[in-house]
Amino acid sequence: MGHGKWDDDTYAAARTFRAAKGLDDFGYTSKMKAKSSKGWKADPSLDPLGVTARECRDSADHADSTPIAVLFDVTGSMGEVPKIMQRKLGKLHGLLQRKGYVTDPQILFGGIGDADSDRVPLQIGQFESDNRMDTQLRTIFLEGNGGGQKSESYELAAYFMARHIVTDAWQKRGRKGYLFLIGDELNKPRLEARHIRRIIGDDLGQDIDPASVYRELARKWNVYFVLPNQSSYYNDPEISAHWQGILGQNFLKLDDPGAVCELIATTIGIEERTVDLDQALVDLAEVGSVAESRSVGKALVQVGAGARALAPSATPPGLDGPDDVALN
Amino acid sequence: MFPGEHVVVVGLGFGDEGKGAVVDTLCQDGTVASVVRFNGGAQAAHNVVAGERHHTFSQFGSGTLSGTPTLLSRYVLVEPIALAAEARELAALGVPDPLSLVSIDTAARLTTPIHVAANRAREDARGRDRHGSCGKGIGETVWYSLVSRRRPAPGSVFEGQEVPGAAGSAPTVGDCADPAGMRRKLDAMARFYEPLLAGSEHGFPAVSEMVSLYRDFAAAVRTVSGDEVGRRAERGTLVFEGAQGVLLDEWRGFHPHTTWSTVTPDNARALLGGRRAQVLGVTRTYQTRHGAGPLPTEDSRVRFPEAHNGVGRYQGAWREGHLDAVLLRYAVAACGGIDGLAVTHLDHAAKGLKVANAYSECGTDLPAGPGVTRLPGRCAPQLAELPRDPDALVDWFETLLDTPVRVTGAGADRADYRVRTAIPLHG
Repeated sequence: MGHGKWDDDTYAAARTFRAAKGLDDFGYTSKMKAKSSKGWKADPSLDPLGVTARECRDSADHADSTPIAVLFDVTGSMGEVPKIMQRKLGKLHGLLQRKGYVTDPQILFGGIGDADSDRVPLQIGQFESDNRMDTQLRTIFLEGNGGGQKSESYELAAYFMARHIVTDAWQKRGRKGYLFLIGDELNKPRLEARHIRRIIGDDLGQDIDPASVYRELARKWNVYFVLPNQSSYYNDPEISAHWQGILGQNFLKLDDPGAVCELIATTIGIEERTVDLDQALVDLAEVGSVAESRSVGKALVQVGAGARALAPSATPPGLDGPDDVALN
Repeated sequence: MFPGEHVVVVGLGFGDEGKGAVVDTLCQDGTVASVVRFNGGAQAAHNVVAGERHHTFSQFGSGTLSGTPTLLSRYVLVEPIALAAEARELAALGVPDPLSLVSIDTAARLTTPIHVAANRAREDARGRDRHGSCGKGIGETVWYSLVSRRRPAPGSVFEGQEVPGAAGSAPTVGDCADPAGMRRKLDAMARFYEPLLAGSEHGFPAVSEMVSLYRDFAAAVRTVSGDEVGRRAERGTLVFEGAQGVLLDEWRGFHPHTTWSTVTPDNARALLGGRRAQVLGVTRTYQTRHGAGPLPTEDSRVRFPEAHNGVGRYQGAWREGHLDAVLLRYAVAACGGIDGLAVTHLDHAAKGLKVANAYSECGTDLPAGPGVTRLPGRCAPQLAELPRDPDALVDWFETLLDTPVRVTGAGADRADYRVRTAIPLHG
């Protein structure tokens, strides 16, 4: 039994008490950064190595779970944006519940880096529907490196999401989950088998074309790429063209990174057809997110217009249970 | 100021007398070791205005702006979510690390979002017959702890409220550091209230979230047990800050428009364990009341500007009337006598205030004992003029109640408050 206003108040109170105790929102990062880079690693709860599958299951309280995954780029080119994500995303669950745009949201957070140069290029949490997700968020390591070739290992994250996630939404109801990638660079030209072996542990013999990973992913996920302002390549046309080529209209530019929760909630509401863009912006203003609603409006103009023209989604073809863990 | 004397500040009306400003005034010279809360909970709303700064104190003691620590005693109902919000407000006003000023008795009962939801669901169901509750779960917290001790049968009516299920034991501040125990208590409470809340618009966060929040809360504030008041009393002067007014007292007030709290100095005296203290009664120069219930001198022509008291959804309208000497004497008697008065809102004296010295049917004093609760509504007050000169009005109060006026307030700002030279009392 959730209650949006309470959820937000509870979250704010927990932060106040932690701050009074001297626990900051970036506790894990501070702890890692105190060590030499050779000792940097993901917290075990976020390490994808050897994970068969992260599960998003229904429960007595949440009988119609909706999987939502938010993975954000933690490399240096993102500037202060990862910190903003870490601070703001804890509000997402409360916002989704308050709006009622989607049934029983379960949220997974993770971090994306550069497999060619980073100590911790991929972090994947668990699906949670209570404030353990807040703990998870604070445990994401903001390594802040990256390689400087204007590409990060988004496709490695996409591979994990395609092959190592099991959801009741898909298996029981044929419903897609929502995946939001938040970053500012390109995919790597190839998803290298050696990275998959080292970071995820799948014994793959050959490299994979990133485009095919996203095609596989799109069967079970609505995938969005959010390019936030205050990152390095916000106005770079190559980035827009690259992601529009892969995801079409699901490439979103967000001029205020602080409005990330509002953008995600509204995007899901529009896709679920529980709200249209105009109503969503009114809703946002009502909950006090007036400034955020302006950024969301700008980001979603084209998605909102597009969604109204789409046919209602039917049960996807080839709905078949267990094939979604097609491990090699 | 009140050198070496502990002071118990109590309201002599229906609340909103100006207790916050009085406590703030007493704490300003830095000699007060702690402000001790001895009743009520997060429903308290004690306004302090210090120049540009204004805060409505709820769970923090009203001496906080001068850096005076707060002790929430075992009689207080503690609501951590509101406490955190208040800490953020105080930090924004420039109080460094406000939570470090707070200590809480582990035996203090916890007001949870479940209590709040139940309180609101009940008030909604009462419709027009609302009791004038604040909607903050205070009464429900007390009621649930009574239910958990006495175990009335589910479906029966206990202390005026229907018992929806079988209660577990009531959570306390001490339980917050024990997540497993807290989870059991909250689960039991959620089951208990399920029949009441199903179908209402009121909900609460997941139990797991509350458990985790309360653990963070327990780690962030200092908890104390045993005779903490005694330990602090050895180190310095204590100011006991009462919430609400004696006329709302659970035993002495006018039912059903009362609070589930002992508003008289009794709890403070119990905490003091025989140590001497001066009881300071606080009154305005006129009568006010939030929400439903008797207000015999109510007069729609009495209207004074009120910056910080408005209409609450659950509490109802803000009401005003002439000063009521009958109720004032009754309140002083309910306190077991007082050692001094604080009179606030003296700045309105020049406008020509009136007082009810007696009611036409029952004279100058309410009869004590059962039956008192209905009288004030039936009796017509006999009005007389009050002095227009503030000093003369102060003298009038001293004569009326045969007690010195020790603090005066003639405006909202702390600069409008004065502590008068202490006059030795009772030898």
